Amino acid sequence: MKRHARELAVTGALAVLLLALAIFAPGFYQPQPLLALATREAPVLLVACGMTVVMIARQIDISVGSLFSVCSVGAGLLAAGNCPFALVVAAAIAMGAVGGALNGLLVAVLGLPAIVVTLATMVALRQGLNLVRQGRFVDLPEGLQWFGLGQTTGMVLLVGFALATVVGLALGLRHLAAGRHVYALGSDAEAARLAGIRPRLVTWLVFVFAGALTGLAAMLNVVQSPQVQPLAGLGLELKVIAAVVVGGVAVSGGRGTPWGTLSGLMLLACIAPALTHLRIEAHWEKAIQGAIILVAVLGDGLRRRRRAG
Amino acid sequence: MPSHRQRPAAFLLSHEMLLLYVVIAEWIFFYLAGTGVNRRGVVIGFGTLDRQFDVLRHSCEIGLLALALTPVILTAGIDLSVGSLLGLCAVMFGVFWHDAGLPLVVAALLTLGVGALGGGLNATLIAGLRLPPLIVTLGTYSLYRGLAEAITRGSVTYTDFPPAFLFLGQERWLGLPTQAWVFLGFATVLWLLIHRTTLGRSCRAIGFAPEGACFAGLPVGRHLATFYVIAGSISAVAALVYTARLGQAKADAGNGYELFAITAVVLGGTSIFGGTGSVTGTLLGVAAIAILKNGLACLPAVMRLNAAEEMAGLMTGALLLLALTAGAVSRIWASFRRPPAAGVQPSPSPPA
Amino acid sequence: MPAPLLELRQITKSFGGARALRGVDFDLRAGEIHALLGENGAGKSTLIKVITGAHAADAGTLALEGAPLRHHQPASAHAAGIACIYQQPALFPDLTVAENIALRLESGSPWRRVDWRDRHAQASRWLTRLGAHIDPGTEAGELSMPEQQLVEIACALGAGARVLLMDEPTASLTPREQEKLFSLIRDLRQTGVGIIYISHRLEEIFALADRVTVLRDGASVGTRSISDVTESELIRMMVGRDLTSAPAPAEARPGGAVLVLRGVGCSATGVRDVSLELRAGEVFGVAGLVGAGRTELARVLFGLTPADAGEILLDGREVSIRSPRQAMALGLAYVPEDRRRHGAILELPVSHNLTLASHARVFPRGWLRPQAERELARRFITQLSVRCSSPEETTGALSGGNQQKIALARWLATCPRVLLLDEPTQGVDVGAKSEIHGLIRDLTRQGIAVLLISSDLSEILALSDRIGVMRGGTLPAILPGRSTAAEVMAAALGQEEKRAP
Repeated sequence: MKRHARELAVTGALAVLLLALAIFAPGFYQPQPLLALATREAPVLLVACGMTVVMIARQIDISVGSLFSVCSVGAGLLAAGNCPFALVVAAAIAMGAVGGALNGLLVAVLGLPAIVVTLATMVALRQGLNLVRQGRFVDLPEGLQWFGLGQTTGMVLLVGFALATVVGLALGLRHLAAGRHVYALGSDAEAARLAGIRPRLVTWLVFVFAGALTGLAAMLNVVQSPQVQPLAGLGLELKVIAAVVVGGVAVSGGRGTPWGTLSGLMLLACIAPALTHLRIEAHWEKAIQGAIILVAVLGDGLRRRRRAG
Repeated sequence: MPSHRQRPAAFLLSHEMLLLYVVIAEWIFFYLAGTGVNRRGVVIGFGTLDRQFDVLRHSCEIGLLALALTPVILTAGIDLSVGSLLGLCAVMFGVFWHDAGLPLVVAALLTLGVGALGGGLNATLIAGLRLPPLIVTLGTYSLYRGLAEAITRGSVTYTDFPPAFLFLGQERWLGLPTQAWVFLGFATVLWLLIHRTTLGRSCRAIGFAPEGACFAGLPVGRHLATFYVIAGSISAVAALVYTARLGQAKADAGNGYELFAITAVVLGGTSIFGGTGSVTGTLLGVAAIAILKNGLACLPAVMRLNAAEEMAGLMTGALLLLALTAGAVSRIWASFRRPPAAGVQPSPSPPA
Repeated sequence: MPAPLLELRQITKSFGGARALRGVDFDLRAGEIHALLGENGAGKSTLIKVITGAHAADAGTLALEGAPLRHHQPASAHAAGIACIYQQPALFPDLTVAENIALRLESGSPWRRVDWRDRHAQASRWLTRLGAHIDPGTEAGELSMPEQQLVEIACALGAGARVLLMDEPTASLTPREQEKLFSLIRDLRQTGVGIIYISHRLEEIFALADRVTVLRDGASVGTRSISDVTESELIRMMVGRDLTSAPAPAEARPGGAVLVLRGVGCSATGVRDVSLELRAGEVFGVAGLVGAGRTELARVLFGLTPADAGEILLDGREVSIRSPRQAMALGLAYVPEDRRRHGAILELPVSHNLTLASHARVFPRGWLRPQAERELARRFITQLSVRCSSPEETTGALSGGNQQKIALARWLATCPRVLLLDEPTQGVDVGAKSEIHGLIRDLTRQGIAVLLISSDLSEILALSDRIGVMRGGTLPAILPGRSTAAEVMAAALGQEEKRAP
């Protein structure tokens, strides 16, 4: 399976890491901390799913972190105002979709580079949120945390939901014609146009989709604690992009799967606890993350070069 | 596009001049709204000379990064890592001077070397291996900041720098804040480089048409590498200025500065698609942002909502979006209005 | 008589200043194979793209079974049952063969489910019918050029189209694959499909087509039934007048060999075993059809895609040309085919473009010298009579001919010894064309060796001292300057072996 070489390589690296942990730090394998880790990463996984689709379509969205914060705080405020739960969820998704739609509009219609557009919306959203909220936490009503269920049940539910999203997205990208359109657009926009795909519409929808998933992810974040932290999404975009790139989504578009993103995220998520368990200082996390991104891009470039030469 | 002999009207409406009007208007607004007299009858706020020098001091580091980014963006590239590299260089300067006990000058020179190396890594990956600058510098953005955190273990702050060094960031020389001279020096050098040398000419050609530049026999890879290394080195200079101004160096130095720098460059009329732009524009862009940031802090408490920093960030982001949109809309508008070249118009065909 | 399957009336299309189609009429009946023939640049590819909706026509009408097609787009063409095999395969390199075929074959709701097992089976079926041994799970980017061509054909055949366009489908196929393809095409004709078939291989057209339409200079010269025409008649229709070379080359007195190629090849671009001698003060014309490897040869010589076989000698010494800079240092200059993307940087002012290749010569220390630059620009603007308001004018604002002169002048400013010209007068108006021709003659008088690549046969014949004809990446024939258009065309089409005893 040459086609999924990258996914296999990442899964292999993950297996090596887990094996090393099993030998040198068996303390890593305890159900409760592992479940807590998975729960923490569940919202990240949802955002990463959105980013996967965006990057397969050869775009990028670095405003997801800010959007995540805005949706979290917005949902929290609605819940604090005693809105019904379903309405809160719908509002979070809608807020995310609107943010994505704005980015998509600027990118697809005006032809602006996604990186700069989303850089600007990232800052505008973050600072706008700070301006309005002044860094205040939102206190949530009783019964919202873990959906009013027990903590363990709630955690399992969250992780299950995130994994189900990965499975659903993977199936959709593979088995729906729309999924193939995204790959086609990212692989060659002109060929896609000739094949009867509307590049601008698909580009816009991809941003809307990623925004909506970000809103949903914010919801998964909100139900985890009794308060909403306004800086929840700080630096999220980098973590997500790193996971997606490491998981084998090509920056040049057209390739990658949610499965790869899942293993990429698991690899990155295990680094921090692995560092502590292997008694390496945790301050190296960011540097290691950066190095992993560079290695992944390097691998991509070498593969392309081999094909061209 | 900077045409060389414009008609007066076109010159007065050029991007640089429009931006100059904005800067002047901003200044006047904050001068009127942000200046006051305290109970003892002393003038305070935006109108004081100290404040004006503060504006200048604050704009130097971001200004240096914006200068570093101008040639890079002119080649249609981008460097997101300059802010992180600033942080790494600041920390390394602390390490060289404090931990290794090197003389100040040696430590500063070594810091410049670190900056050049950081730029060199970007250059190798982008110019040498032809990887996309966006994702490469996103990686180094994380890597350099991470290294700075790892070196300081996330907590060490280097302080107690000698007065000879702090002079660079906190004192005046010949009537101006010292770092302003550094900034002006680099602005002059980059202006000469971009507008008066073949290297600057080449970077425009590469930005407009990388393939066309290659067909004209320009060493595209070598030129690209040069610009990324220059960007890294200037980040190191900015790190020294930053450290001298605050009197301390820690891992979060220059966090988020890359955004302000990119905004200043794009606001200054440099096209993110490469080719068009000028150092003068970048300087005006830096001025617009610096005055906004400082001016908001001087507004009376009611107007500034107690959140000058956030307000400035929000408005910077909005300003960038506005500048981008205006550029795109005018481009689309121009393509609609451009009179078709001879022979393009469909000839009225006789009915068959 | 029923309406024809596809009918085009007075189609015109221009690009910039150049008119690619000037009022073309064309009709296709159901169940016929209609060949489209013409020299390079006659407008065949543009016509195809108008039919598939990739280009919008400036004027004229298209009708499918009598119903006019309005707002013709790739998507609507697809829906109307028009499929096309482009000359350059338009496959998605990151998708598998089966995915490529499925994407191109299906329209309908984007939310419908795609059954990949079925698609795989379908893809294998079509590929097997073509005699191609390609695994549908392979990524298209990993395939060789002929394999991509086969996939492209499978896409078009599988589309179940009513109108099928084929732009040189056999360019890179083996004879066995060709035979399979032909029998498939004949099967399709039986089922009432209308096929537009473009090829430069006359024997294919005689073997396959029912009717043939010849295009010349963006207009239709005529439509004939295949049984009523002969090969030489078709060649004459394509070429127009029976051109022979102008008297100009008679005064040429070429000097010694400057550039010698011995068995030069470049596997990446398909140039193979090219041997020729270029003498000082001569024009060596290179003729051939699109895809014959002419531009690729020039790129090898200029170091853009370095040679990996054979040897290149300059003044008798073997040289290695690995990059444009090395080529420039050796005194080579290349005016590329694609003026807008490679030849001149349109956003830059005229004077900047003129000095772009000679920075080291004009600005010896790296500092710009506006005065020197302006003087140099003025000199070339006068010498080449470039029509522009000032040296500071943006190059893109000039007409095509003047842009081409700038692209030429840029390289003259480097004082080259060998000048490689690739389509120097493509898309240029008549006046500028004759000026450029005069300039080329002047240059040879100064002892510059010129390699002239052109699809315009009359240009090759008028200027060349000798004519090399390329075919399939090789240079099989070098004809004297005084050849006829028909002789060159015949060599380019691969007919000369038959004529030889």
